[in-house]
Amino acid sequence: MPPLTFDELHLLHQAFFGAIAAAGFGVLFNVGLRSLAWCAAAGALALGVRTLGQDLQWSLEAASFVAALAASICANVLRRPLGPRGSAVALTGCIPMVPGAFFGQAILGALAVTTPHPENAAVILTAIEYLLRVLFTLAAIGAGLAIPAHLLKHRDF
Amino acid sequence: MTDDPVRLKHRQLEKIAMAALRMARVLVECGARVRVVHQGATLVARGLGVEPVGLRTGYASQEITVRSGANTITRMMTIGPHGVNHRLDHAMRALAARVSKGGMTVDEVEAEMDRLAKTTPRHPLWLVALAVGMACAAFGRLLGIDWLAFGPVFFGGVLGQALRMFLHRRGVNSYVVAAAIAFVAAGTAGAGARLVGSTTLNLAMMAAILLLVPGVPATNAQTDIMDGYPSMGSARAVSVLMVMIFATCGVWLAETLLGVH
Repeated sequence: MPPLTFDELHLLHQAFFGAIAAAGFGVLFNVGLRSLAWCAAAGALALGVRTLGQDLQWSLEAASFVAALAASICANVLRRPLGPRGSAVALTGCIPMVPGAFFGQAILGALAVTTPHPENAAVILTAIEYLLRVLFTLAAIGAGLAIPAHLLKHRDF
Repeated sequence: MTDDPVRLKHRQLEKIAMAALRMARVLVECGARVRVVHQGATLVARGLGVEPVGLRTGYASQEITVRSGANTITRMMTIGPHGVNHRLDHAMRALAARVSKGGMTVDEVEAEMDRLAKTTPRHPLWLVALAVGMACAAFGRLLGIDWLAFGPVFFGGVLGQALRMFLHRRGVNSYVVAAAIAFVAAGTAGAGARLVGSTTLNLAMMAAILLLVPGVPATNAQTDIMDGYPSMGSARAVSVLMVMIFATCGVWLAETLLGVH
């Protein structure tokens, strides 16, 4: 078996911490103990797919969209063991992809813009860039989660 | 006048409307999408023998009109703080499905909702705090914090979550809570990361406040708009924006005190 390359290690790292973060948020959302393992699996899948996409030079938004799509499709395919919890599991798995840090940096950047003498135009551009990335990434995650659920309509409630 | 058939019918309709509204209210407070909320209320109303004519769910209140024959009644109910509680959400959905099959009275449905609200298990507070701390530290690794900052981010997250539970129990405004948590979590993570010699101070401070990221309302906002409920979707989006603005105020204050730029 060939030794793991740096990128494979990075992929494993991202998937592992994606699983930990998703399971942690699962506890916060009062997900049942048995479902926490599914949340962790969804988190690992989502972060794994997103990392693969970024390794293929996709943008963060595109990689997040495909990752959310993958999590949602898997939750719908595994409808039998998961039941109606599937959508909640997919959503919890995608929480580690929510760009909260970008959001904070965008607002801090906007504060820097409003100082009496902003250093240069780069401050403004960076703040706008972060804000747009937050909006597009959130939209990508939401769309990725919603599209399979709308196409594969299930009757269970 | 107990022999007035119209008044009796209205009283019965009112009880059914209030039971359906209560189901809807609990589902909203548990973080369900509007489509699911309306499904739940409709199942309860139909299971109790009336037809819902209209349902409106806003961020702070909701209304229902139900009909039985020629009689209709409209009632409104306020909604409490929005949160996320999957186990209660699914227990309520299962109850709605059971009610829809018929055979339950309004009093039985109300009693069952009481029982579920009281007995649906929650994770112990210490476990929630530890899990949230670990989630923040994991989030930090995803963002690129070094290993030295892992422990401080974990402690910042644990403290932030403990503070959240303490302040929520005291009924403090949720946006003020967000600012306080961000200040304490980011300050703890930042001071700790500096103490241990981490080179990723800024990222550590950001990672520690990620327990505040309103991921569920953010995705629900979009889904609600897609499902045809733009007013609730917009309200949720604005609440997400408000949480992040207040959280950033807390981080900004912590950064200023620590001299981090």
